Amino acid sequence: MFSSFRIQRLPSSHPGIALAARLAAIVIALVVAGVGIALAGMNPFDLGARVITASFGSSFGMEDLGVLVIPLILTGLAVAVGQQVGAWNIGAEGQFYAGAFAASAVGLFVPGEGPLILILMFVAGLVGGAAWILIPTLARAYANVNELITTLLLNFVATLLVYYVATGPWRDRSGMANSATPPLSTSVPEFWGIVHWGFPIAIGLAILVGAALAFSRWGYEVRLVGSNPSAAKYAGIPVRKHLIMVMLLSGAIAGLAGMLEIAGTVHRLQGGISNNFGYLGIMVAVLARGSPIGVIFSGAFMALILNSGIVLQTQGLTTSVVLAITGFILFLTAIGDELSYYRITREKPEGAA
Amino acid sequence: MTEAEKSFTPPPGTAPIVQLKGIAKYFPGVIANEDVDLEVMPGEIHALLGENGAGKSTLMNILTGIYQADAGEIIIDGYRQEFASPVQAIAAGIGMVHQHFKLVQAFTVAENIHLGWDETPKRASKSVLESRTEDLAKRYNLATRPGATVSDLSTGEQQRVEILRVLARRARLLILDEPTAVLTPAEARELFRALRDFVAEGNAVIFISHKLDEVMEISDRVSILRGGRKIATRDTRNCNAHMLANLMVGREIVLADMRGRGPHAAPISKDPVLVLDDVCVASGTGGNALDQVNLKLHAGEILGIAGVAGNGQRELSQVLTGVKAASSGKVIVDGTHMKSANAKIFADFGIGHIPEDRLHSGLAPALSITTNAVMREYDQAPVSPHGIYNPRSATRLAREIAEAAEVMIPDYGMPVRNLSGGNQQRLVARREMRIADKVLVAAYPSRGLDVGAINTMLRYIVELRDAGAGVVLISEELEELLNLSDRIAVLYEGKVMGVVENDNLDIEEIGLLMGGRTKAGEVA
Repeated sequence: MFSSFRIQRLPSSHPGIALAARLAAIVIALVVAGVGIALAGMNPFDLGARVITASFGSSFGMEDLGVLVIPLILTGLAVAVGQQVGAWNIGAEGQFYAGAFAASAVGLFVPGEGPLILILMFVAGLVGGAAWILIPTLARAYANVNELITTLLLNFVATLLVYYVATGPWRDRSGMANSATPPLSTSVPEFWGIVHWGFPIAIGLAILVGAALAFSRWGYEVRLVGSNPSAAKYAGIPVRKHLIMVMLLSGAIAGLAGMLEIAGTVHRLQGGISNNFGYLGIMVAVLARGSPIGVIFSGAFMALILNSGIVLQTQGLTTSVVLAITGFILFLTAIGDELSYYRITREKPEGAA
Repeated sequence: MTEAEKSFTPPPGTAPIVQLKGIAKYFPGVIANEDVDLEVMPGEIHALLGENGAGKSTLMNILTGIYQADAGEIIIDGYRQEFASPVQAIAAGIGMVHQHFKLVQAFTVAENIHLGWDETPKRASKSVLESRTEDLAKRYNLATRPGATVSDLSTGEQQRVEILRVLARRARLLILDEPTAVLTPAEARELFRALRDFVAEGNAVIFISHKLDEVMEISDRVSILRGGRKIATRDTRNCNAHMLANLMVGREIVLADMRGRGPHAAPISKDPVLVLDDVCVASGTGGNALDQVNLKLHAGEILGIAGVAGNGQRELSQVLTGVKAASSGKVIVDGTHMKSANAKIFADFGIGHIPEDRLHSGLAPALSITTNAVMREYDQAPVSPHGIYNPRSATRLAREIAEAAEVMIPDYGMPVRNLSGGNQQRLVARREMRIADKVLVAAYPSRGLDVGAINTMLRYIVELRDAGAGVVLISEELEELLNLSDRIAVLYEGKVMGVVENDNLDIEEIGLLMGGRTKAGEVA
């Protein structure tokens, strides 16, 4: 007897199935990429082994990952925090630059060095990022202007501003490089190889924000505002106040990512310093489904993909191929996420004994 | 007399434009229509009168092909027809203008008229569409601005575009769902004139309304629906508003009087606990959604609010619970004049609120059942001792509320939208009753519930009253209001038409007030 199958969409996905769907997505993407690489005349297993040894086989590889993960967690956290209050912060890129810009200004022009300057740079990074999202925030809160557009457009302003100061007024006139500022006198100390204290700060901040959302009255109110503003209004929760505070927090976190990048990793301000971290943060947040704790893991995953890409490039694959593979993995992950909502049920045909 | 010159009398033996025979439509657990016969003759304006839920919309949805009847026949010009979709109904000359317009706001009038119309020229420039629209407007005598964007038009103009859209498709029967609800009196007069012109050419109009005066003014005949059945069809000139009101609401009232108090029940307080003093609330469209409302609610009493939905009930419940501020007048809670709207302060004072659209504003559908259940008490012990929100205590409280509401919940972490609509409502109601020490504002508390659940809900309300809370019960169920309320206020177009003691009450009077008339017969 034949039995018929029926596809059913569930209102929520089972966490186990969701995880399995993600793993399956990664495996399928790697298999497809492997076939492609083999067709191009390279040995995919050999390349895979190289990626794994390069990432995990040495402490250098692990350190690279550790440095790469810091901005990804923070920009991902910035986007995720915005999502919690129902705002799409597409401008983490711009806030990253703004935070880097403000912190560099402190590092370059405030005399002295040491912990005090570091703290000032830290604050400048937060304030710079928050300032960069201030106008989109107020426009959204008071005039209901869509923050998607405003935050996105300000990215270009920030990017060009940093290019301008790094190649113009703040340019390093002593050295050969003419597209960067002089090295900063103060930097975030390292605690393991080249991995600096930004690493525990990023993870700690994600945990702190996650805990505040889950275990505080403030978090409860923010979640309600983000999920249904009219229900929040009905419950007497100040919707506008929360929207403004959380959007500014989102910008500040992205700004902090920029500050840690210049003060911990690059040690100077230069154009293109962000490496698209702001945009990648959107992906990190989406993969984490807006969960601050989840951002730690999806940030690490993204760092691994990017790092593998760098390794593959050294093995002679072109950048386009690497981008295609990483894009494919993310694409399939998104499909796997969606599919985890479906269930196939089997129906006995009518009249079957 | 011009009216007489214009009128159209079909020759004897003319088939009705539309004849419905024995139409029935059943939804799970509900009889929406049963055994409905209706005849609409060429040249007549036929009013369809009935309360909310009387089955008017379902009947018209069947006639326009949106629903298919479970029984009965549709006969157009003497031929039996079956409409599988609205497109076929339009092809047969039946067009409807819904209460909520179906226009594309960003398009021009001309574009809207030509959208989805098989007579639209394949390659048409803006000016062609506009001149075609101009011609149509002239032919049907409906002044419009073809080049204007719909979002820039007034509601009255938008309605004209909707009507023109329908007439352009050669409709011979025009169905209008509460067309004057969105119009100013001047616009309504203009509409009436256009309708008169339209039927004078041998067409017909079905005019859905609950306003007695305009039914008397515009219609030639009137059919009354009640509980899904047609009660009567009358020539309007042989009717008066009293008769129609009686027919509309004069059903068998099932009296299950719940007004009696036990020996331990709290008495009705001398001083009111909640007062509205000359309160106005502006509506989005420039008028007043609430117009100089004066109400007093005493502790230990149930004040019923009768009226057809959409006459200011939403704004009334919002202003009573601090969700919306009054644009003028005073809201006085227990002797304190509340200068600004703050739902939290009202709730902390002990005012519970079962909102009209509880699924949209009373809940956050995507969040967990626990999160939704503790919405009123999340900031106090035991859920949040010392400002720390404790999810476990929250779930404990949620369980308590769910058990009191008699809702079975498999998993408190799942989104609340996974529950059935009825269960969502019960949760909201129970959550609100917990905090309603002083006042409960309940908007349509029995809407969407089955009979058993309604009884439970009404019993809760009575218990709350006996415990000394004042209850504002907004309802469209007259039985419910008569069985529970100590006094009944009637809302019509944002005004309180009157407050009557629920004591040997004349139901006809309530019906008249709901239709915008006072007993003396003067028009509001």
